[in-house]
Parts: sequence; C-alpha cells; structure tokens
Amino acid sequence: MIGRIVAAVAGIGVAGGLGFLAYAWHPAIAPIAPPASTAFSAASIEHGRILAAGGYCAECHTRRDGHEGVPLAGDYLMATPFGAIYSSNITPDPETGIGRWSQAAFIRAMRQGVSRDGSNLFPAFPFDHFTHMTDGDIADVYAFLMTRPPVHSIKRENTVPFPLNVRLLQAGWKLLFLHPGAYRPDPAHDAQWNRGAYLAEGLSHCGACHTPRNAMGAEKAGAAYDGAPVDNWIAPPLNGTNPTPVAWTENEFFQYLRYGVAPLHGSAAGPMSPVIHGGLSELPESDVRAIAVYLASLDQATARQGGDTAHLAAAMRTSTRDLTGPQTDPDARLYAGACAACHANTGATPVPGRPELALNNALWLSEPTNLYQVVLRGINAGEGQAGIAMPSFYHALTDADLARLAAYLRRTRTTLPPWTDLEKKAAAVRATLPAPPVAASH
Amino acid sequence: MTSFRLNGHDISVDVPDDTPLLWVIRDEVGLTGTKFGCGIGMCGACTVHVGGRATRSCITPVSAIQGADITTIEGLDPAGAHPVQEAWKDLQVPQCGYCQSGQIMQAASLLKDYPTPTDEDIDAVMAGSLCRCMTYIRIRDAIRKAASATRGEPSNG
Amino acid sequence: MGKLGRMPASPDRLSRRGFLMTAVGAGVMFGFPAARAAEQFPAPGLPGAGAFEPTIWCAIAPDGAVSVNIIRAEMGQHIGTALARIIADEMDADWARVKINYVDSDPKWGLMVTGGSWSVWMTWDVFRQAGAAARVALTEAGAQLLGVRPDQCTTRDGAVVAGAKSISFGDIVSRGRPTRSFTPDEMAKLPLKPAAERRLVGNGDLKALDIPAKTDGTAIYGIDAKVEGMVYARPKMPPTRYGAKIRSVDDSAARTVKGYLRHIEIDDPSGTVQGWVVAVATSYTAAIRAADLLKIDWTPGETANVTEQDVLDHGRAQIDRKDGGAYVFNDDGVDAAFAAAASMIEREYTCASVMHYQLEPTNALAFEKDGIFEIHAGNQWQTLILPTLAKALGRPESKIVLRSYLLGGGFGRRLNGDYMVPAALASKALGGKPVKLILTRSDDMQFDSFRSPSVQRVRVAFDTARTITAMDYQAAAGWPTQVMAAAFMSKGVDGKPYDQFAIAGGDHWYDVGAFRVRALSNDLANRTFRPGWLRSVSPGWTSWGVESVWDEIAHLHGRDAVQFRLDHLTGKGRNAGEAPDSVGGARRQAAVVRRVAEKAGWGQPLPKDTGLGIATTFGQERGMPTWIACCALVHVDRATGIVRCRKLTIVVDAGTIVDPDGARAQTEGAALWGLSMALFEGSEIVNGLPRDRNLDTYTPLRIADVPEMDIEFVASTEKPTGLGEPGTTPIAPAIGNAIFNAVGVRMRHLPVRPSDVLKALARHKETEST
Repeated sequence: MIGRIVAAVAGIGVAGGLGFLAYAWHPAIAPIAPPASTAFSAASIEHGRILAAGGYCAECHTRRDGHEGVPLAGDYLMATPFGAIYSSNITPDPETGIGRWSQAAFIRAMRQGVSRDGSNLFPAFPFDHFTHMTDGDIADVYAFLMTRPPVHSIKRENTVPFPLNVRLLQAGWKLLFLHPGAYRPDPAHDAQWNRGAYLAEGLSHCGACHTPRNAMGAEKAGAAYDGAPVDNWIAPPLNGTNPTPVAWTENEFFQYLRYGVAPLHGSAAGPMSPVIHGGLSELPESDVRAIAVYLASLDQATARQGGDTAHLAAAMRTSTRDLTGPQTDPDARLYAGACAACHANTGATPVPGRPELALNNALWLSEPTNLYQVVLRGINAGEGQAGIAMPSFYHALTDADLARLAAYLRRTRTTLPPWTDLEKKAAAVRATLPAPPVAASH
Repeated sequence: MTSFRLNGHDISVDVPDDTPLLWVIRDEVGLTGTKFGCGIGMCGACTVHVGGRATRSCITPVSAIQGADITTIEGLDPAGAHPVQEAWKDLQVPQCGYCQSGQIMQAASLLKDYPTPTDEDIDAVMAGSLCRCMTYIRIRDAIRKAASATRGEPSNG
Repeated sequence: MGKLGRMPASPDRLSRRGFLMTAVGAGVMFGFPAARAAEQFPAPGLPGAGAFEPTIWCAIAPDGAVSVNIIRAEMGQHIGTALARIIADEMDADWARVKINYVDSDPKWGLMVTGGSWSVWMTWDVFRQAGAAARVALTEAGAQLLGVRPDQCTTRDGAVVAGAKSISFGDIVSRGRPTRSFTPDEMAKLPLKPAAERRLVGNGDLKALDIPAKTDGTAIYGIDAKVEGMVYARPKMPPTRYGAKIRSVDDSAARTVKGYLRHIEIDDPSGTVQGWVVAVATSYTAAIRAADLLKIDWTPGETANVTEQDVLDHGRAQIDRKDGGAYVFNDDGVDAAFAAAASMIEREYTCASVMHYQLEPTNALAFEKDGIFEIHAGNQWQTLILPTLAKALGRPESKIVLRSYLLGGGFGRRLNGDYMVPAALASKALGGKPVKLILTRSDDMQFDSFRSPSVQRVRVAFDTARTITAMDYQAAAGWPTQVMAAAFMSKGVDGKPYDQFAIAGGDHWYDVGAFRVRALSNDLANRTFRPGWLRSVSPGWTSWGVESVWDEIAHLHGRDAVQFRLDHLTGKGRNAGEAPDSVGGARRQAAVVRRVAEKAGWGQPLPKDTGLGIATTFGQERGMPTWIACCALVHVDRATGIVRCRKLTIVVDAGTIVDPDGARAQTEGAALWGLSMALFEGSEIVNGLPRDRNLDTYTPLRIADVPEMDIEFVASTEKPTGLGEPGTTPIAPAIGNAIFNAVGVRMRHLPVRPSDVLKALARHKETEST
C-alpha cells in the first residue's frame, strides 16, 4: 500500500479577512449527464489506464479494511493523526461517484484540490503533486475513470473533528503549501531527465511518502526526499542522504522500479511493493527509465558512485562473517540458523535472489523499523522480486530474538552506531501487524 | 482460495490464508516428503523451492505463494535422480533421513547459486539446515560430488 | 503381519477437505502413486504366499526374495541392513533379493528395544544361527531336488550348488516346498561360517537398504502416518511435568477457530501425563491455533520453582551424606587406603541438562478398530510402553498393537513412549476415533525427557610413591531407568537396585587399587522432570569426570597423559575381560589409546594456545565394551574464551564390524554429538521446566562447526559390540584435556562456554602472578 499520507491541518492561523475568503471560495461546477463511453477515444482511455496505474489511483480508492472493496469505488481507510479519512468513490456512478463530473471539474480537483461542488479536498489526496500534470494527461485519466463500470458505493463518514473538518479552512493550507501549475521543464537537463521529473513530481508523487511532513501535514520545504515514516515503515531518503553503502544509480533505480529488486540494495516490500507491481509496471519502460534517471540525479549518484567498488567489496566481505568455521556467539548462531541460508553471499557481488543485508537500506536506516517489518511479515511472491517469497518470522522470533538479530546485523554488517531500545521497538512494530500466520511453534 | 503450481501441476486449495505452506503440502495435498522440524524456520527440514529458491515452508503462509511455482522433494526430479540425490545415495548420506529432504532441496538451490561451491559457500548456505544425526561430513562431500557430476567431471568424492 | 492388508483402502482419497485439483485426473496425483495421498504406512517387505520360514526371523519366497524380520527401530543406524547382512551372509543369500520387514509388536519377538547400542550385539548370535538354519534346510531340500546328497552341496549367492548343477533358493521353495523347522537346541548346534568366508558381513561396498527412500521423500515416518477420518490434536501442557491439576478450561476463544472440534481433559490412570488438555480439530493448523487460544487455569505441581542449581545442589548434598545410593563396586580397603594415603585429590565435575531435539517432534496416531487399539508411531522400546498403554487405556496388552515407523531421530527420546499415551487417551475419549497427536517443537522440548544434570565427585588416594591406592567415584543424577523401567535396573554389590544408565562409565577398566563406585538417584530431578536416556546415556557424562580426573592426576604427577593411561590399562584382575563379549579386557582399551596417540601425533609441538587432549572409554557398559579413544585438537582464543575444535582423531575397537560404512557413519554422528554437547548445547531447568524451547536459543552443532575427523576401526574378528553411542563418550573430556594443554586451565563443567573459559583464564592469571 502506498503511504497513507497524513491529513492536513487547516491553516487556521491565516484564516481571516475577506481576502482569504475570496481565495478560499470556489463555485460549484454544474453537474453533467454522465458521458457515454463513446465520448472518449480508445487511445485516450488506454493512456489514462496507464497513467491511473502510474498514479496508484486504485491503491487509495479501494477499500481494504474489513473486506476487499471494488477497485476505485473508494472508502479506503486512511488513519491519520487527525482522524479517519475515507477516500471517495471515483467510479462514474452518478450518485455516489464522479459520474456527474465534467472534465473541467476533474481537472480542477486534480490541480487545485477542489471538489465539483466547490468544497476543498483534504490534501490526503495528493493534488499538490497531481497539479503538475498536463491537462492532456489529466483528461486521459478522466477518460479512463469515466469508462469504468459505475459502482454505487457510499463511503463511511470521516472522523476528522471540528474545526479541522471545516473544508473551507483547507484553503489556508493550500495558500501556504500548494504550488499549482503544470510541470515546467528545466532547460538545464535533457528531455529524459525532465520526463522523469514530470512523472516523479506529478503523477507518481514520490515525495508524498519520501519527503517528511511538517506539523500541518505538508511536505517540508527544504527537506525534499529526506525520507519519512509512513504506515509504520520508513520511506528511505531518495537524495544524497540515503545511507546505503552503494549509491542508488540509474540502473539500481531502474531494476528496482521495473522488477521490484535492486541487485545492490534489495527488494521492494511493504508499501513500496504495490507502487511497483500494481503501478509503475504499467508504465512504458522508457518512463521508468526516465524516473530512474531523475532519481539518480537527486541521489547525486554520479558524485557518490566513486566509492562504490570499495564499499561493495567491504560489504561482501562481511556477508559470510561468522558463518565459516565454528561459532559460539549465540547471536551469530541465531543469524546462521534463521537467515544465512538465504542471505549469505560469498562472491564478489550478491547472487540474484539472495538479497545482501550488508547493502540493504533496512540495516542502514536510523531505525530498525523496516528490518523488523520485513522479518515479521515476510515478503509475498507478488511483492519484491516476483515469484519468490520470504517467510514470516512473526512466531519464529521473539522480540528479544529480533532485538539480538538487529543489534548483531547492525554491529557486524554496517559501520553505523548501534540502534537503541531494540526490544521495545520490535514489540511496537509487531503490534502494528495484521493477523500473522499460524504458529507452528513459539 | 489460493492457487499455485506444485511440482508442475496447477492446484488450488481452500484453507485459511495464514495456513503455513508446509501443512498445505503435507495434509491438504498429501505429499509428506517435506518435514516439520522446528516450526520456526531454523532447522530447514521443511525446505521447498518457491520460484526456484529454497524457502522454509513452515513459516511461509500459503497466501504468500499465490501464483508461485513450488517444488518439493517429490518434484525435484521425476526419477529421484537429481545429481544431488544421486550423490546422497552414492555417499550414503542419510541416517534417520528426517532432515534430508530439506538438506537436498537446500543443496540443489546452493548449486544453482554456486555451481562450484567452496567450503565457505557450503558453511554459509547450509547453515540453516540442522541434521541431528550429524551427517554433516557426508553432506559436504555429497555437495561437492554433485557439483562435479553437474559439471560432467569425474568425481573423486 | 501385513499392515496394508489390514487397512481398508480409502474410497475417496481425493475428496479430502479443502483440496481441489485442477488439471490432474483422479487416481494419479501429481504423477505419484495415489496411495501416497491416502493412508500412509511403511511398505512392508513381506514374502507373500508360499514362503518358507525356517525360523521366525526370515522367510524365503518362491520367487527367491528373502525377507528378514527386524524387531529394531530404524532411526538412522541402517539397522535393518546391518542385521539382514548377518542372516543373509550365514545362509548365503543373494543380497540383491534381500528385503527388510519392520515388525509390529507381538510377544513372539521377545524384548523389543532399540537402544544401548545393543542391536548388532544382541542379534549377532541369533541371526547367525537363523541363517545357518535356513542354509541347512535349503541345502537338504535342494539336494533332494538335484538328486545328490546334502554333503555334496555348497551354497552361494542364493543357490544350492553341487558340482555343475545348481538350484536357486526360490526354486527350492516353489518346487520342494520345504517345511523343516528347528528347536533352539538344534539351532545352537548348527555349524557357523568362519570369519574368512563371510561375504556380506564386513563388506564395505554394500549400500544401506533404507537410504534411497530417504532421498526422494518416499520414506514414511510416524508423523506421516494417516488413516481415513482422523482428527488432529495438539496438547496444552501444564506448568509442571507432574502433579498439576486443571482448575478450569475456557475454550470460548478456541471455538472461533474454523475446524476446532473440542478440547479433552486427559485423565490418565497411568500417570504418564498429568494435567494435560488437548485441542482436537480437523486440521493440525487448527489444532495449533485452538490450543494457543485455550485458557486453562492450573494448580501447578510442587516443582514449579525448581532450578538447575537446585538439582545440582541436591546431588551434591546426596554425595555428602554417607547413606543412600547403591554400590556398583565397593572393594575392601577403600577407606583404609584413604586413611593411609600420602596424598589424595578430590574433584567435582558437573554437566548441564541436555535436550534430545530429535528432529521429528514426538507424535502418535491412535485409534480403535475391531476391539484392538492401534498406536502408530516411531518408537524404540515397544515392550516398555505397552504395559503403560494398557494401564492408561484400561485394557489388556493383547488388545493393543503398536505399528512401527521410521523414526525421525531416536537418540533415546523414543525409548520413552510417553507421547503415545495422550494420543491413545484422546482417541478413547472420542470413542476410538483416529486421533493424530503431534507436539509442536516447543511442546516437544517442554515435554522432553532430557538428560539430567549430574554431579560427579572423584577422590583418588596415593601412596608415597604416588601410586594410586584407591579411587572413590560417586555420581548423582536423575535416574531414567528407575523412573520408567524400574524392573530393568541392575543390582549393586550391596544388593540394591541402581540405574546402570546413570552410572556406567564410572566403573572403568583402569587399575586403581581399591575401587568404590556409588550411584545416587537424584530424587529432586526425578520429581521435577522425567529424566531421559540420551545418546550414550551416562558414559556421555561420566567420562567427563573419569577422563578429566585421569588427566588431572597425570599433570599433577608430571606424567605423560597417554603413558599414564597405558600404565593403568593392564587388563589385570577384574579388568581382564571375558569371552565372548569383552575378550582381552583393558588391554584392548590400551591398544586404541596407543593407536590414537600415534595417529594424532601425540607429543609433537603445537602452535601457541593450541592443545591436543586425549580421552578413552569402553563405550556403553562393561558387559559390552566398545573400546574407543579420541585425540581432540583445539585452539583457545584467550581474548574471547572461544574454544575451536580443529580435529578429532578417533580409534575404535568394536570387534567384528558388520557394516563398515554404517559403523563409520554412526561414529561420525556420535562423535559430533559429543562435540555438540561439549561446546554448543546444554540447557537449564528454570521454574521446573527446561529453559529452551526451540532453536532460537538452543544451539546444537551445525555444519560449519564440524572439525576435520579421522576415524579408524581396529580390525577384529571378536564378537561385534555396539557403535551407535560410543563415539560420543570420549569427546568432551578429550576437549577439556586439550583446553588444559592449550592454555593451562581446567574446565570442570559441561558445556564449556566461552564465558567460563574467560573466567578460568582470569583466575589462572591471578594464580600465576601471585
């Protein structure tokens, strides 16, 4: 699942004066008779389908709690610090969906975060990114959505309390944080880079998860792609502060975003998995390549790459540490028994399908969150590298075992200071997990 | 309902999503060559291949292998004559034999990753496969022998 | 005997719950025989109709197949192959036609036990006689068919040969229909082959018959046993092994589990399981889940707070007291020798609890059919558990049948068939419905009858010439045989019963002047848990005391540790040995010591912090000695206290080696068990139960821990003794002695942990600097 971005707080402090009201007020756009599917060209619908995938529309507009909802029919629960928000039905149902929305209304929503009736939308809907899309792309998404089967589905009521639920106040947020308008290419870069930036900043809204948010739930200025907590995981930094020993190069990003696994970093799991397998997989390869080029430039890969050979060699040296010859360290034996069969790498580079922990984000982040998540949940065959699976150690390892393992790996496979409060943090991550598999032992 | 391929056949099972793959294989499908040892993924007796990679089935929920390709000891080779199995017989590796399905599945996967395994490769990759009869010396020798056989070299053990 | 014959074929084997097949036709499942998916029983090697059975031990079929009845459990020793060789060799059968039949419990087989490394030793004479009987009977019948006199015939590779004429055993059976049988007296007088003419015994080229099925998933273990309509059960065990009482059971949460049927409070008249509740469900996963959700309130038994330390301290207090215990030896003059001694030493050695961790968790399938209770499980001692089951079920032993399966590890755990009792009682509570009870690993470890912690105290008296004048050896530990098989205990020289499996090894073959060996049953251990027989039983820990103290004396007196042993293994007096089981006595032990020292390069210089240590034992018991000696080469890391064993050199004299490759395999495995228990294993009792419940904290030896090994068997035509356990016995003391030789510190507790080595090194440094 894609990161459930925090809801926004209204800009109460700035609310005041008619000027603001004028800014904040939007007229309703007249409802239309639902357009016939013949109103859209096949090419437009198909392009819209690809864009809708690349923007993960269905991820947030399909109910997952309690039961699996119909795709795009909304009612997806976003648990925010401000209360529960349920996403809208974006199938073309005239009564409960967007069947009576004109294209103009849809474009306004995407670009300005305003509903057809003129009310402001919560920025849990990442219109601060979609605003950067072109009218043509938004129109194609509209064509795609309007040609889906209409689903009559009424979403549950949000539980955001007063006064945060006053939609008008969202306007203050926008005044501060929304920079509306389609992406303008940067002449300093080539077309491929600009294509990547267009997709990453707009449609695919990478920053929504990977940029930390301020107290008002907006992406922090000056901290773009610094990494952020999301859905009890950590979305790692995508800029020069990314801590992994080997740089995220264009190729690493491409492999990761295209196939779910970066050979020198590891595989996509948790909220990142559907981004790849449910979303970007629909984009043409050239678009994924363009995103990789753009992200590699954010990451300053070219500048950092110089040390990669040495860092890779150092990491590979640690991979079989404590695995050759007799061992009596109980933590090393725990690692040997539980992890090494799949993770030990003895060559100069990791074997595909044998993720190298010494290179993995999970060990190099400031908290063990992602390590715990992956170990406790495992990775499904549909996630990460397709067709293979990592087991769930939920019942296999106690919090004390997890803490030993995390401390051991951090100590032996990274050069970073130890994590703290490991057992407590293990319990905290465990508490966020859904029902685990049957315990075969304890 | 979870669907997957098992030893080359498409099958579907209607069990709770969180049922470990091991028990689906053993009790629902009825293939008992895959064994229950520790139940925490640390002895290797339950090892099967998921997408060609050795995986501990006792802690892998069946929902996690939806659509995947599973191979058990029964499906490793139609005649039970995979080079690893042949080496196992030649060198008389098994004692009680209970861990050996898992050892063989893990070793077959090891040879895919490291066709010419060193002692270090064997130590590292076989670390998770416990043999309580302690047939380790023969496991090591048989892996080397299977590697030679796979390469088509005469083997001196 | 036919198990398959007694079992109904499954009418709808493909309709089992929840299983849907697509793309595969019924009848063949995944290209494997359909039977694999239904009831699973080990395929018996039965001869079929018209077979000739000269004795109960083998049958020759009209097609020439020879099936050998094996009453021992197959748990990795390839015992069927070893025993079948003996009978087949003596009758000159064609090895390619030999099959093994693991039999069910039946009084006619006599004592059915697989343990103590006894199987070959116990079977050797019987099977040679049985083979000779078959040979004689077939020769007589064959001679008649060939029209010659029996004395003109010889036998070879499954045929009777007379000059140019020959006839196969199968043809003799099908055409001659021999019926000859033999009385025990006749059997005993039959001529046996001389050693030089044996073709199967000692043949290193033969492969074990059980191995192929263990490489392709077709081997059937107890846990694989299935029967139509069976339900699954998993226990929820009380906080103490004994004496817990159920106050209440709340299964409201368990009832939410799909497939949960009910819970059963087990009422066990045999007292084997006390305070157990089992969850019954339609699948094992549902039973696991339901058992987790059962809320049970118990009044715990009296041992709820007992610790490992309590048990050791109790043993020490028992040794301190003059009363109690039994004397294995109590020579005149022990006390006098100590009173007159010019000097003496006294040392204490302790060993921690050790878990079996046999890889197949304990399990059993039980059901009633036609008035007979059938228990399907892997087991090592059918004869022992049968009366217990009879008591538990309240029915005569004749109405209970135990069906044998392969064991996913025995190591002594399955000598104790206690795990069958709750399965049988759960089935009884369900009106005889088939119940498959499986313990999860954590259940299995909680319920383990593990190796008791032990205390050994050794005192040795010397005269002015530093000659040993007396030894007083005492050991206190839980007594498995007392608890589970009291009638099987030995009698001491004082007439008191004692558990030979909790003292053997202390009664060594060294010359020590007046010798006293006192065995004490640690009753706190016996009350807290069910002490178990664990691979190599007491010699696996008494050797730690005997062989360590022997080294300590040598060093104390500035003697070479090898020569010092040789000087005291002279084979005099009670150590002379006797035919047929211990011919040569201590002199054969001296021979393996001499040979191992030579092989290991004893006395040669070694790198810093590296040491070679020696230890020797007589295997399992004085009545069936397997002479063994080991040199361990270790390195000690002074900074971390980590002891790394680099090489084990082992020399064994087990008499005639029946199955050379199997003998090597058993010795490899047993020696690595010894290493595992010396450096990697060991648990402790916490709150009345073993602390470790799985591999996250219990850490047996794994592949990377294996040192170089050099194993040699002494060529011998003496009666074969045992090999399943002796390899375990000398390892720990050889390592302890090597540690001393490497860094000068003496370890007296097993397992040897790095932290203990560090402490010892620190103390050693203090002593040296003061």
